[in-house]
Amino acid sequence: MKTKLMTTLIAATFTVGAQAQTGPIRVGVVTPLSGTYAGIGQQVKWGLDLAAKEINGGGGVMGRQIELIYEDEEANPAVAVQKAEKLFQVGKVDFLTGTVNSGSTLAVGQVAERNNRLIATTVSFADSITADKCSANVFRVNARAGMQSAALADWMASTKPNANVFYLGPDYEMGRSTVAAFKSAAESKGAKTVGEVFAPLDNKDYSPFFGQMRSARPTVIYTSVAGNDTVRLFTQMAEFGLNRNVQVVGASGTVTSQNLKAIGSAADGFVTGVGYSTSIDSAENKKFVASFEAANKAQPDLYGADSYGVLFFYKAAVEKAKSTDTDKVRTAMRGLQWATPQGIKTMRAGDHQAMQDMYAVKVNGGKFEIVGKVAAATAIGPDACTKF
Amino acid sequence: MSSALDWLQFVLAPQMVNGLSIGVAVVLMALGLTIIFGLLDVINMAHGEFYAIGAYGAVALIGLGMSFWWALALTPLLMAVLGYVTERGLIQRVFHSKDRHTLTLLLTFGVGIVLEDVLKIVFGANPLRVEAPITGATELVGLFFPNYRLFVMAVGGLLIVAVWVLVFRTSLGAIVRAAAFDRYMSASLGVPISRVYAATFAFGVALAGISGVLLAPIYSVFPTMGRDFVLIAFSVVIIGGMGSIKGAVLAGLLLTQVQSISSLFISPVWNDPLLFGIMVLVLMWRPQGLYGKLGNA
Repeated sequence: MKTKLMTTLIAATFTVGAQAQTGPIRVGVVTPLSGTYAGIGQQVKWGLDLAAKEINGGGGVMGRQIELIYEDEEANPAVAVQKAEKLFQVGKVDFLTGTVNSGSTLAVGQVAERNNRLIATTVSFADSITADKCSANVFRVNARAGMQSAALADWMASTKPNANVFYLGPDYEMGRSTVAAFKSAAESKGAKTVGEVFAPLDNKDYSPFFGQMRSARPTVIYTSVAGNDTVRLFTQMAEFGLNRNVQVVGASGTVTSQNLKAIGSAADGFVTGVGYSTSIDSAENKKFVASFEAANKAQPDLYGADSYGVLFFYKAAVEKAKSTDTDKVRTAMRGLQWATPQGIKTMRAGDHQAMQDMYAVKVNGGKFEIVGKVAAATAIGPDACTKF
Repeated sequence: MSSALDWLQFVLAPQMVNGLSIGVAVVLMALGLTIIFGLLDVINMAHGEFYAIGAYGAVALIGLGMSFWWALALTPLLMAVLGYVTERGLIQRVFHSKDRHTLTLLLTFGVGIVLEDVLKIVFGANPLRVEAPITGATELVGLFFPNYRLFVMAVGGLLIVAVWVLVFRTSLGAIVRAAAFDRYMSASLGVPISRVYAATFAFGVALAGISGVLLAPIYSVFPTMGRDFVLIAFSVVIIGGMGSIKGAVLAGLLLTQVQSISSLFISPVWNDPLLFGIMVLVLMWRPQGLYGKLGNA
């Protein structure tokens, strides 16, 4: 009796297994389609849709089509967890991506662990995701904050050696951690700190800080404010002539295509470190930018480029593993090399952080120009993951 | 000794001038609020959104090819029309109910939310830019100050004086004050009360609108900008005395100085707790504020 039941169960498992291996490969996307980060979610969707179309048009992955299933996480980790659980349990997705907010990525990573599935983020910057909070089920294909700081610090050390740097960050977790990260990267390359100040988020007027900034006589000002705060800070700095003879640098989220127009000429000369720029001079990137623009009537940014790349990462891993089985795909992903618009990326086996060349870009007349490049191996920094 | 003088000249003085320029902006917002409250007994929760509409009005008019100066002159007129219509069409409907305070507060709160979303749909969520019509900066005894901010302070000062003269030195102002003091007596003396109400509301909204235009080049324009000054303006009105013009001016300038100078010594993150702490203390010990109501002033 018992044996018969077992046989039936095993047979049932095999049937389900066989079925799953022939239908389309289901990829879940939990991303903010509404709310503050809707602009980022839009880029994620554009990038993924374009990649899925190209992969499916070229015969799919091992002959199977890719099917994308979207869920709106509203940039809220609690919602992201529910939607991810739903996609794993009900949607039976093989792989999941799309989380933007670092809190969502960490929370969804735990859901993936419980469901024995793999996820990859294409946007989240927080270093911890592939360091002290790393997970065997979580991969990151985009550059983390530390790599962006390394690229910027390297550019600063070569163009403004031994700079006197003043730091201005928004007063919350992200602001303080970005300032701390860049400060240590800059100081290790000889820069001196002459002052730092943290302004409240959604600050109206930065002029009360300008006296302090001026009297510190910095040669470089680093800031990690974002969104509307950047518009005000830069407009007011120009108003008070504070950016004259001073190099302004900052986090990669400080000046984006969303606020660049409103900052206007006050953004000129701003330099940041990023993992992607539309002006990367390679055949792959030119082809990617052209098809992205044709499909979406907008330019890709770093989020769009990395979300485009993640499906090729998954495709390469599945083809190497010859399976969509979680353990086999995980093994295939470790150390995997795959082609992206930024060139060949390598997934570091020890912490699941992608290695890639990093760029310093400068705003000039409303466009980002590449002014420096740091090799992947130099930018990535030590492996701090001890969990697997 | 000389370092102390240096500190006064290069740290404290600029900080106070900066505080003054923010103070003028706050007073302009608080004036409209306090006038509307003083006369109509309506707490206008949509005041911040009217400020935002003023700024967007400037963006739209400049987009049509007008100069900043034309936008500055035309926007308050358009805002006055919008204010008049809002008062007649919406506020007037719930005004005579028993629960006037609650109803008008909820009504204007709702209007504010609707207006904010309308701005987002019409103009998009991304910030927009209004170029300052006056550029450059002036150096005064080692103090470096942008010309446009000097201009805003001058215009703001003039507006404050003009409002004071209008309310306290003209017959129009006398009618308004009389209506605020005793609406039944004024009505029986032939004052067209409901039109005075609508016109006063329109005047308050126009003041919010002109602040929006004046401050747009400094603070940029985006749908949620209305929340910026409205909280501090509310606390200024409460501390100065609900409905008092003198109180709003005094409290506005004082509070922004407290904020500016305190941020030299403690983290600016404490600005808001400090401000609202003062408001709570005033409400506990002098709930009527520094000065009384418009009608009694």
